[in-house]
Amino acid sequence: MATSTYLQSPSVVINSVDVSDQTTSATFTRVIEQLEKTAFGSTNRSYTSGLENSTLTVTLYQSFAASETYATLAALVGTNVTVSVAPASGAQSATNPKFTLTGAYLESLPLVAGSYGQLSTIDITFTGGAYTVAIV
Amino acid sequence: MAYKIASERLGKIGDEFEPTDDVNIEALIEGGFIQSTSKVQKTAKTEASEQE
Repeated sequence: MATSTYLQSPSVVINSVDVSDQTTSATFTRVIEQLEKTAFGSTNRSYTSGLENSTLTVTLYQSFAASETYATLAALVGTNVTVSVAPASGAQSATNPKFTLTGAYLESLPLVAGSYGQLSTIDITFTGGAYTVAIV
Repeated sequence: MAYKIASERLGKIGDEFEPTDDVNIEALIEGGFIQSTSKVQKTAKTEASEQE
């Protein structure tokens, strides 16, 4: 029987700050850059692994209230920061792994983004850093 | 430096916050999430010399 992860109450932490209740979407992608090693005589392209360059993209409700989105992120633009995501808010385990990027870079932060009559949300992406996964 | 939690997003307000090396402390202070509990040390007062 197939099982699926149902993201109802994931944990999203940015620089030690729990922003789970501001988050509507999270995509953590492990990326290891591909380096081409195709040479003369090859009949197909072939690749080898390069540097790791994983990313975490989250969608957050924008809020300028105390201890919320803007307060969390404003001073992090252009810096390296530790971010983590777990599928559920409980203790980490083999079925609730916690994925972390240590020293990921936040290049940009949308300040105002929204439409008339809609809640404002922003998408931010953390890139690079050291990837780890904790299951205990 | 010692820090005190000032937002429930980090933990219980008032508890001591012990940052790891990878935490951006300045961002947490600027965002109002923690407060420094270290007092600024006053320099010893020196009396003006009477021989001047």
